[in-house]
Amino acid sequence: MVSFSLLYTLLIIVVVIGTIMGSVAYLVLLERKVSAYVQDRLGPNRVGPFGLLQPMADGLKLFLKEEIIPKHVDKLFFVLAPGVAIATALMAFSIVPFGPTPATPAPVPVVALNADESALFQWMNDQKALKEFNYQKETYQQQYTFAIAPGLDIGLLFTFAIGSLAVYGVILGGWSANNKYSLLGSIRSSAQIISYEIPLGMSILGLVLFVGSLNLEKMIAWQSSNGWFILYQPLAFLLFMISVFAETNRLPFDLPEAEQELVGGYHTEYSSMKLGLFLTGEYIHMVTTSFLMAILFFGGWHFPGLNDIEGLTGTIIKFLILAAKTGAFIMLYMVVRWTIPRFRFDQLMSLAWKKMIPLALLNLLCVMIALEYHSPKWVLTLTSIMILAGGVLIQIRFESNSLSRSSSPSSRINMDPTGETGKLSPSSPS
Amino acid sequence: MDTAIQTTAGVEAAFSLSDYFPILIYLVIVLLFAIGTLFLSHFLFVKPRKETAVKMMPYESGMDPIGSARLQFDIRFNLIAILFLVFDVELLFLYPWAVVAYTDLGDPLWRNELTGGMITISHIIFLEILVFLGTLGIAYFYAWRKGVFQWR
Repeated sequence: MVSFSLLYTLLIIVVVIGTIMGSVAYLVLLERKVSAYVQDRLGPNRVGPFGLLQPMADGLKLFLKEEIIPKHVDKLFFVLAPGVAIATALMAFSIVPFGPTPATPAPVPVVALNADESALFQWMNDQKALKEFNYQKETYQQQYTFAIAPGLDIGLLFTFAIGSLAVYGVILGGWSANNKYSLLGSIRSSAQIISYEIPLGMSILGLVLFVGSLNLEKMIAWQSSNGWFILYQPLAFLLFMISVFAETNRLPFDLPEAEQELVGGYHTEYSSMKLGLFLTGEYIHMVTTSFLMAILFFGGWHFPGLNDIEGLTGTIIKFLILAAKTGAFIMLYMVVRWTIPRFRFDQLMSLAWKKMIPLALLNLLCVMIALEYHSPKWVLTLTSIMILAGGVLIQIRFESNSLSRSSSPSSRINMDPTGETGKLSPSSPS
Repeated sequence: MDTAIQTTAGVEAAFSLSDYFPILIYLVIVLLFAIGTLFLSHFLFVKPRKETAVKMMPYESGMDPIGSARLQFDIRFNLIAILFLVFDVELLFLYPWAVVAYTDLGDPLWRNELTGGMITISHIIFLEILVFLGTLGIAYFYAWRKGVFQWR
């Protein structure tokens, strides 16, 4: 709502926090159920029908557990870290529109003045534009908005900024715990999060070039009239999805808490509700990023044929569409967790720096050139697929090279699949 | 959004800080929520509290901890942090450009007033960004040859 209303904002905030907390509790249950079905088990089914009360039991258990603050920790940061983790996770949701929100009106162009017209005409043109602008503003203000802070032009950048603050929770928690596992986990985690921040930000630039705004509502409005971004930017979606998986520390990238290596990673020493806050923060990140994927690449609440329904029914349908898309991505998170094994750390780093960043840069270059020379949008679909295919081909070629040379021990330690640096860098042992 | 201003794009809303008030309120509530949860779980509940010497020890898989946990860590993590700074600052330069570069602003006059329509400012910007990305590419290539991305 543009005319800022305290009551409406407070209402939305309370609803958002409540919904997020409730859905996180049930996501944990869903996760356990999915993992159980993947592994041919039943999962939690004792508390309530089908285990539906399990989240309450879990929450109560976390609250009532003994809270251990070991002697050797740095007390202030140790207590502060879970708070930072949950606060940054919740803050990142503040600009995400979770229901049909109209985009802020675009600038109203003023009719340009010819040389022979007088200043009076200019004034009249200005007044005409101003009137049109005021009319658009009023119609915008009459509509309902479903976001905590709607119509912010900074939009996406704000989410990324706050999302990357999450690394502070991890670092503070891991360092202050004064435990070797925690320290290793937190260092790994921060290296991973900051590495994947770059392909994350770069993959979005192509979209921003098209829309000309970082505002998420405007992104959806653009996609409603021009088609979803997944059609024109499939490569960007792939890069975005991988980066987001890494940012949330979900399984193919869960090195910060690799149980077999680091026990619990950065939260090894945490117990009771402090541990609970860390885990909740992680799940909230998952929800937020699922929303972002649905909004940025899959048109948000837009669905062909269902977009023109007016009134309450239309609003409810749009809510359901967005929820369904988000839910699909959350399910993807969970299924991926139980199907793809964990990376090694060198693979993780080489994926971000050697593969995703060049791909993202090439993709950005293609979008730039296509827009500069006014090419049709489907050209970008082709270039996306071609860049990806080219990358895969180069990868396969160099991988077979490095496999054939793997008889020498140095090239086996040198985990670089492209095998390039081993040849070129003078300091390399090979 | 209360007042209107005229820019090259036309009449649009002036920047108003009141758009950001919801975020401030949300921040306060979120902080209260985080602190409240920590406080509640720490003080309010009747929960077991037995401190034993072993429980207060750093966890190292059941062994007595050896040495301090304030370890020296690998220099490569430091290298990653420096690289991140370079690339992230570069990204920050690209964002403002991406927002204004190709939006349909009705092609206002300032775009081609320099050379009488032969070369518009958007052409110059395009070339500048190509040069910018080019220097970035050279730096990236140099770092690759130096073996910075090599994790061995």
